[in-house]
This record gives sequence, C-alpha cells and structure tokens, in this order.
Amino acid sequence: MPLRLPGGLSQLSSSLWESQSLLPLVQSRQFGIKALTTPKPSRFSIGPGLPVLESTSTAALRRKAYTLPLRSGAIATKKGMTAIFDPESGKRIPCTVLQLDRVEVISHKTRQKHGYFAVQVGAGWKHPKNVTKPMLGHFSVNGVSPKRHLYEFRVKGEEGLPPVGSSIGANWFQLGQFVDARSNSKGKGFAGVMKRHGFHGQDRSHGVSLTHRSLGSAGPSQGGGSRVYPGKKMAGNMGNEQNTVQNLKVLQVDAEAGIVVVNGSISGPKGCTVRIQDAIKKPWPEVKAEAEPVAEVEATATA
Amino acid sequence: MAALPSMRPLGCLRSLIGLQDAVQPQITRRFISTAYSPKPKRVPLPPNLPQQFLSQLPERLQPREDSKRVKVYPAPPSTRKVCKDPIAKVTESQMAIHDPKGERKALFDYRRNPRSVKPGDILRVTFKNGDPFNGVALSIKLRGIDTSVLLRNELTRVAVEMSVKVFSPNVQSVEIVQRAERPARRARLYFMRSRKHDRRSVENLVGAYIRQKRAFLGGNRRK
Repeated sequence: MPLRLPGGLSQLSSSLWESQSLLPLVQSRQFGIKALTTPKPSRFSIGPGLPVLESTSTAALRRKAYTLPLRSGAIATKKGMTAIFDPESGKRIPCTVLQLDRVEVISHKTRQKHGYFAVQVGAGWKHPKNVTKPMLGHFSVNGVSPKRHLYEFRVKGEEGLPPVGSSIGANWFQLGQFVDARSNSKGKGFAGVMKRHGFHGQDRSHGVSLTHRSLGSAGPSQGGGSRVYPGKKMAGNMGNEQNTVQNLKVLQVDAEAGIVVVNGSISGPKGCTVRIQDAIKKPWPEVKAEAEPVAEVEATATA
Repeated sequence: MAALPSMRPLGCLRSLIGLQDAVQPQITRRFISTAYSPKPKRVPLPPNLPQQFLSQLPERLQPREDSKRVKVYPAPPSTRKVCKDPIAKVTESQMAIHDPKGERKALFDYRRNPRSVKPGDILRVTFKNGDPFNGVALSIKLRGIDTSVLLRNELTRVAVEMSVKVFSPNVQSVEIVQRAERPARRARLYFMRSRKHDRRSVENLVGAYIRQKRAFLGGNRRK
C-alpha cells in the first residue's frame, strides 16, 4: 500500500502548501520502530590512544618490511653435489654446485602500480619461435632476449630495483654470505600413506587382509559428524612441491663460469631451477660496488 | 499403405518422369561448395593513394608496416658455453689444492694405473693427528674429490672398518704394506666380512713391514 500524506494536508489550500514548502524543515510522520533513547557510541572504538587500523596495504607492507630482502635474488640451475675440504680443519664440507646462466632483470613491480616492490628476473634463453606473442612483446618492450625461466623476487623498497636489462652474475653473491634456496623437490608420483606421511600401516597378520599398507580409519563416526575432516592425510601425489632451504653459506663464486657453490643440499633433482636470495634470517650482506649489476645490455640494444 | 495403380490411374506417368531423372548422369550435378575457384590475386593498390583513404580499406589490405613485427633482442653470452661441467671444475680446483702433483690420484686409480692400490692390498694410512690405521682394502670408491678406500682390520679382537677419504688434508701418507698374492677377482671384497674369509688382524704384517723399513733406512726415524 503506498504511503500517503495525512488527510489533513491534502485539504489545505494550494497557497498554504507552497508557503510551507519554502520552510527548511517540514515535520513529517516517522514510520517503523523508533528508539526511545538516542543511540550510544560504542565504548570500545572511541577515545584517544587507540591503535591505527592494521588492515591496510600500507600496514601490511610495514609488517613485511623487516623480513623482505633489500636486493633481488637470482635464478640458478642445480648441477649436482660434491665436497670441499676445509684446508685448516681438514673437515669435509658437502656442497651443491649452482650455475647462473644469462640472468637478467626483465621488469619491475612497483608499489604505485602493483602494490609491492619486486624484481622480475629471467634466466636462460628460449627460441623466439617457442615464445607466445604476448611474452615476446614483454621481452621486446624491456629490451631483453626471450628467457626460459621467469621469477619474481620481492624486495623491500625502490632501492632494491636494479635497472631493467642489467645482468646478475655469480658475483652478485659474496663469499661467506648466507642465502636461501627455493626449488621444487623431487616428484615421487602417487604415493601411499606409509611413504607420504609416515603412517605405520597395518599388521601383516592377525586377520588383516589386503590392507597392510593402507591407513586405518579416516575419522570418527556419527559422533564426529560422519564426515572426513578437511586436511585428512591420505594417499596422493608426493613431492614436486616448493621447498626452501634456509641459511646456506656461499663457499665459492666463479663469475666467469657463473658458478655459485653453497654449503649443504638443495631440494630437487639435478638440472632443476633454484632461486637463491639473501637469507632472511641472517644480517643482510654489505653490497660491494663490483657486485652491482652490469648495465651492458642497454648499450648493445641501442647500438 | 501403398496406393494401388487402380486407385491412381495417372500415377504411371509420375514413375516415367522419375525414371528420366534417375537416368541423368550424376556428374553434371555440381554444388557451389565443390566448384573450384582460384584464390583471388591481391590487387595492387593504386599509386599515390591519399592517406585518408587507407582507413577505408579492410585491415588485411592496408599496407603493412615493419614496426608491427616484434623486435627480438639477441641473448647475452652464455656461461654454460664457458663451463659445461661445473662439477668437474669445482672438483678440479679442489684437486689442485689437495693433490697438486696428482700422486694420490694415481695411487688409487686402480682402473687405469697398474701400479695403484688394488682391493685386497694391505695399507697403512697415517693421519695428521698422528694415529695410523692399517687394514685390508675392501673397496675403492672412485668419486673424484670424494674418492675413498674402505679398510678392515681387527683391534683388540674386534673387527674394525674405516672409510678413508684419500684426498682429505688430514691424511698424511698412504703406504702399501703388502700387495694381494693374486689379484682379486671382484672389485668389492665384502665376502671378507664372513668368518670363513676374514683376514683377522693385519697388525703382525704391518709391524714386520715397519721393522724392515727401519732397517733399510739405517735406523732413522724418518719415514
């Protein structure tokens, strides 16, 4: 039913109605439930000394600033493992050999445009025939050759963005500094629960038939809701997932051959792609002038 | 229900017409889809075409500019061509430090060097901290800088095995005390761990060797 003005108003003469409409406030009837008292302000969200709202992107970046590296990382290939003997103590140090091949800065991600600072780094070379046209355009605009691998390395601020097209060699890393290496672990295919989660399996005998390597129960019955809870450990694909090994010491650096030798092992098979960046749990390395990226590609592009 | 000829007397005429149609050869029938039409040749644009008319042409006929092609930049020099086997390079640099003359490598390269240590030989290894270890070489693992030899002996009537990394800077010297009487027929003499084939202690043989060496060197403590 449409709302109607009170009957008394409609009976008023037109001249009176016009004169009333010129008034700033017209008393009109209120509909619905009306509070008897004025609403009180909440006693929790008012007053001085309250913390600033932490759900903004600026606040998120501020929280992250402590753990974000100051400079970019590099893309390397795992070549295999060997050992190095420490000449003083005679101790054998197992090490992984990584090789950096044509690592270049492709583009930047900036706070203003993308919401965060990051360096897009490419490595290797891909035949232009096998590169899609949008990607080819991306490489072309930035003046670099088509790359096999592309990854982003987040950095703290604008100071950590090397010029686009500059190359990152093995001497980007210093002898004795610590790095984090992230790579995909070896894929194990579809694995059972014993191999994948370390379940104990079931008995060989005592009436067990055909379920010696399977999981026991997938959960409670009616009391638990008669359902399998999310995250239940079951058989499935194992391995081939990203793993980060932290705090690996750089033992050798060979800029000419692009070799970086780090202490210990790194996930993944030989030939896998490894991303190495300054370790976040160690003090940041002091960057020397010679470790600065070489801006030689820009010169060749203009020539 | 099929119509009987008596019901439709003129039906026979229809069959005659239909027969004529069927007799006509099928080849003469052609559809548009099968008709061959050569691809039309691209008509060259008239010369001195004013610029404002170009936009009226379909896109495929508009004169193509070379700038539409994506420019591909050449790749920088590759480090993979400089060094194809980084593992070998790291190993070589280590060998140059710990075995500059290549003597230790030749001593254990039993596949190529006939004068090298062979499985079954009795060795005496001296370490930098002064403790020697004697034993029968059960196996030699050739793994570059990680090359090692497995020695077996008996100390205080307890069988002891020790794997020695031969390029370790802690290894001061390796001496061959006694060659095997005849070359072993396998590379790994793990059967020597069984009670039947165990050589037991080799300390007597090594002691005799040391005494003989001292006599030969004229009582000098020099090795």
